Amino acid sequence: MADATHIDITLTDDATRAPRVRVWDRFVRLFHWSLAASVAIALATGFVGGPRLLVAHLVAGVLAAALVVARLAWGFLGPRHARFADFVVGPGATIAHLRAALAGRPSHHLGHNPLGGAMVVALMLAVAALSLTGAVALGGALKEGPLAATITFATGRAAREAHEWIAFALIGLISLHLAGVVLESLRTSENLAAAMITGDKRARGATAPAIAARPTLAVLVVVAICAVATQLTLAGMRRPALGVPTAPLDASYARECGACHAAPSPAIASSKTWRRVMAGLDDHYGDNASLDADTARALSQYLDANAAERWDTQVSRRVGAASVGEDLRVTRTRAWTRLHEDIAPATFAAKPVGGAINCAACHRDAATGRFSVFAIDIPHERTAP
Amino acid sequence: MTLSSAARAAALALALAATAAAAATLSPGRQAVVAALGAGDAAAGKAFFFARHTGGKADTPACTACHTTDLTKAGQTKAGKAIDPMAASRAPDRFSDLATVEKWFRRNCTDVLGRECTKSEKANVIAYLLSI
Ligand code: HEC
Ligand code: HEC
Repeated sequence: MADATHIDITLTDDATRAPRVRVWDRFVRLFHWSLAASVAIALATGFVGGPRLLVAHLVAGVLAAALVVARLAWGFLGPRHARFADFVVGPGATIAHLRAALAGRPSHHLGHNPLGGAMVVALMLAVAALSLTGAVALGGALKEGPLAATITFATGRAAREAHEWIAFALIGLISLHLAGVVLESLRTSENLAAAMITGDKRARGATAPAIAARPTLAVLVVVAICAVATQLTLAGMRRPALGVPTAPLDASYARECGACHAAPSPAIASSKTWRRVMAGLDDHYGDNASLDADTARALSQYLDANAAERWDTQVSRRVGAASVGEDLRVTRTRAWTRLHEDIAPATFAAKPVGGAINCAACHRDAATGRFSVFAIDIPHERTAP
Repeated sequence: MTLSSAARAAALALALAATAAAAATLSPGRQAVVAALGAGDAAAGKAFFFARHTGGKADTPACTACHTTDLTKAGQTKAGKAIDPMAASRAPDRFSDLATVEKWFRRNCTDVLGRECTKSEKANVIAYLLSI
């Protein structure tokens, strides 16, 4: 015991001359920086938000999840310091380490110390939870991805909320992680961030015997898991999404209600709203849009049968469920204006759009009433030839 | 005096001949519309179409509010959608279905004049639009 203390002191006094040993293997380093990059991209694109960044957000998120899966495998099949057995200890040992550190006598670990190990586990759990809640939110709230056929809008919205809270928690963990790295680097006068690049740390005390990695097996396991996940994802995406309208507009409806503006999908408003619209066609937002009784009856039935209550999409559950005011304007409900708050009013007024009611000018799938987040583009005023 | 009346007579004859020629080439749908509304006076229809009316809505005092004064080009609805040109020569599908013609007269006369159009007003407008 006294011997070990002696060696430690010698090394601290003459740090530069201490032998360097390989601690972080190539995969662990690649994993660490790839995860850092994909988490940074996912956080940035997630908090800025918007459909344009969603694809980048999903790619970064899936990459982070895949990296965590690979790291899990490496935690059992990698070399000594990559293995969970090397750094995952019980709460008792972690608290003991913390006590010793606070008393100024922390135990030394060539790999992760117990607190660092706990951080690795917490970070990976957070990324896993984000992937899970992300997939549920994507499926339920946006009706896209592998879970679109199974998750309801309500569940999707709840998952989206959780997703956001976990993202905040992850930012907290990352801050703690960075603070820990800085403090520990100062305390041991060893640049830990650099060690995660070079892979080498100063040897102190006796190094534990190496454990051989099993890279071939690890690659096989990860490839198998990813293949199964891909197949499940594709199978899920082939199933029809839950409560999403797909039929084109009724021909008579499209003709009659598409004469003055793009015919609005029945899915964007409640049957109550449609009944009010149909009851007031003589004075329809300042226009006379009256119909003969037979046509009016047929269109009323069509609207009633396909109104928002019937669907489980964002447009139906949020915009369609919103209460429409005295002005009978779907486009002045809070739900609708919030979804479009980043768009300048001039964009709606511009010629290629011609008013907010012309949903189809920007939503390619407006006629089916789906309003997918992946089917949005704002047309730009064409310059005269 | 005699010269101008002769010119007027010649113009009238030409116009009549043109109308007859146009009528002869009308599609069956258009013939049915003209038959139902009765023959109209294209000049009166033109005057009616371009006139400012009272009694209707403030933002639509004339047919040209939405259709513009160049009927060979597209107009625009109040809700921002393009309206196909009104000139029959530019819109082969127009004026071929009586119910559609009546529907739009009912709606738009109410908006522009605050009342429905009379049968002769409709006949005149159709005669005019078929002549251009
Ligand atoms: C004669 C022309 C005309 C016809 C036909 C017509 N509309 Fe409209 N509609 C309008 C105008 C004008 C507005 C107001 C547009 C604006 O202010 O941007 C409007 C607005 C609307 C809105 C309100 C959109 C909002 O801002 O929330 C709804 C809903 C609507 N129409 C439904 C219908 C339906 C359903 C039919 C068929 C039964 C129909 N319209 C037929 C002219 C028409
Ligand atoms: C000027 C173009 C434009 C028009 C017109 C328009 N939208 Fe949008 N809409 C957008 C854009 C852009 C977004 C994405 C906004 C964002 O999140 O940054 C959007 C988002 C949405 C969303 C959320 C999509 C999602 O899954 O995130 C819904 C639902 C929606 N719009 C419904 C409508 C309806 C209903 C109408 C017609 C009454 C309409 N929009 C008219 C441009 C438009």
